[in-house]
Amino acid sequence: MTTARSESLYATVAGDAQLKGVPVVLPGAGPYGGDEEVPEPLVTGGKTYQDVDRDICMHTEQFPTRRWWIAFGIALFLLSFLVLGIATMFYSGMGILGINHPVGWGSFIINFVFWIGIGHAGTLISAVLFLFGQKWRTGINRSAEAMTLFAVACAGIFPVIHLGRAWFAYWLVPYPNGRGPLWVNFNSALSWDIFAISTYALVSLTFWYVGLLPDLATVRDRATHPWRKAFYNALSFNWNGSHRAWRHYESAYMILAAFATPLVFSVHTIVSFDFATSIMPGWHATIFPPYFVIGAIFSGFAMVITLMTIMRNVFNLKNYITLNHMEAMAKVIMLTGMLVGFAYTTEFFMAWYGGNDYEGFIFRNRAFGPYGWAYFIMFTCNAIVPQVFWFKSMRRNAWVLFAVSILVNIGMWFERYVIIVTSLHRDFLPSSWGMYGLTAWDWMILIGSFGLFFTLFLLFVRILPAVAISEIKGVMDPAVSATKRPAAPAAAHAPGEV
Amino acid sequence: MQRHSTKGVLGHFYTPNEALAAAVKVRDSQYTHFDFLTPFPIHGMEEAMGQKRSWIPVVTGLLAFFGITLAQTFIYYVMIGDWPMNFGGKPNFAWPSFIPVTFESMVFYAAIGSAIVAIIAGKRDTIPQPPPMKIATGATIDKFVVWISATDPKFDATEVQRFVASLGADGVRYVDAEAGNV
Repeated sequence: MTTARSESLYATVAGDAQLKGVPVVLPGAGPYGGDEEVPEPLVTGGKTYQDVDRDICMHTEQFPTRRWWIAFGIALFLLSFLVLGIATMFYSGMGILGINHPVGWGSFIINFVFWIGIGHAGTLISAVLFLFGQKWRTGINRSAEAMTLFAVACAGIFPVIHLGRAWFAYWLVPYPNGRGPLWVNFNSALSWDIFAISTYALVSLTFWYVGLLPDLATVRDRATHPWRKAFYNALSFNWNGSHRAWRHYESAYMILAAFATPLVFSVHTIVSFDFATSIMPGWHATIFPPYFVIGAIFSGFAMVITLMTIMRNVFNLKNYITLNHMEAMAKVIMLTGMLVGFAYTTEFFMAWYGGNDYEGFIFRNRAFGPYGWAYFIMFTCNAIVPQVFWFKSMRRNAWVLFAVSILVNIGMWFERYVIIVTSLHRDFLPSSWGMYGLTAWDWMILIGSFGLFFTLFLLFVRILPAVAISEIKGVMDPAVSATKRPAAPAAAHAPGEV
Repeated sequence: MQRHSTKGVLGHFYTPNEALAAAVKVRDSQYTHFDFLTPFPIHGMEEAMGQKRSWIPVVTGLLAFFGITLAQTFIYYVMIGDWPMNFGGKPNFAWPSFIPVTFESMVFYAAIGSAIVAIIAGKRDTIPQPPPMKIATGATIDKFVVWISATDPKFDATEVQRFVASLGADGVRYVDAEAGNV
């Protein structure tokens, strides 16, 4: 059965239809005559190195398609909501929002935690899967990292506008000032947040950009216009592919991954400290850091599935982001979804087992009180819906994947809604209970933040290579992908001629 | 960094394995001022080219230590030295609550500093004459390029071209960027 081995799977698997999601068994191909299992190819369609460059760079090289303009138009329209909403809020004050006594943390903090959570999948895919040697990350890591940056950009807006006087946001930074100097309080979780979020944004940006360097050089070398060449050359810092540079590059990339991994866990841990270090029932829980981190990975992967479904279809990248990639992400969704469901249940158990009246009341009120509908949406979307991924046919169905990813994102937004609103609206003193609802302006700013996110993402896929070209080439089979040696050696000068 | 007088011999291969085998031979033939330009990093190329491990981790360690020291010193100065405040009678030197900011500072300096140093090192810590940038080698697309610089003590244009061709390289040629011979 040596014939099975003589032809590479990279040459024979044409597309998603031929992928099974399980290793291919080659009977009798093992070293001692037994069966051998080989993983399915990560790139389908028998692509060559030149095909990879063309398929990925063409979106930055040709005039945008009509579909791109339609999507960009919608994104810009939504972005105008954000601008208009924030401008109106600055003009007339925060009274136009839903926040009031007793719910002083409203949609802005919900949106902040939601967007920061979305960001976590990018770093997880690029750093954690890199350290674990998961080669399937190569197809999705670039766009997932870009998603992280844009999600963090969206998240960063909300705490700043929540300040009320956003123009004094620089007071959050410890700098020598004329007010004493009055420093920030380093014991406060809110001040840790400033450091965590800004470090996360900058390190993610660096990680993403370092990954981009070789690909920017590829775009440069394909460019024909001298200005375009110069632009991408400057962006790639004169990258020429020297192995003396790759040596340091690979070392630095590994180090960035090693630092980004604890960083991604620390960021959502610190975000959860904003709640857990308070005394509010329903917030004051030791489970919060792992619960938030898992929830962040869960929602982030859902957003990656949403975006990858769109990219696969609109940018024709099905050979690089295959159904196997989507199935792998569906498995992560299912695992983290069950962990999130476990955390919801644990909270209830602890509220009962802890014997604290206030804690017990908050949880009964959460699930069966006036905001029970939000709890129901949260629990259904996050803990029950992902259970469909027990079935392989569901994990490999693009429509199901897309639908579940949207539901999970809705569920995770409501998780933050439930945590923030239900704890605040009925606390220790029944006389100061109240209700909270989003006003039209709250909704406008929330919808507008999606506009900002999609605007940035659509610009990214037009300007930069959206799949990591050099990493994709590294996981392909050279026997199939390498350019074939020309029949006659085509030397510019005959050897020996000086 | 662009050198103006760049001379040397170029050739290219089509697969990473050819380049890897060639690198071993170039190294064993006592050439030192040579380089391989590849579209992606090749596993085992460092050993094949006779390179030492990258020294970037040492820089990272120093930067991480710097980040920790800076954060600890600054927080101590702010919270204990310059303006101590009473938060519910708790001690001013509440070290556990200084850990998050110290950690973030360490990550910030170590990660971003290492990336910047690695990019500079890729340009500086190399051979005296890297191949001229204006030649379209195809090394970022599909070619695995070998370059032996004229600064190499063993360099002899005719002999080196013969040697590179004997490795199985295509497109072997002598390059003199100053004379426009590319």
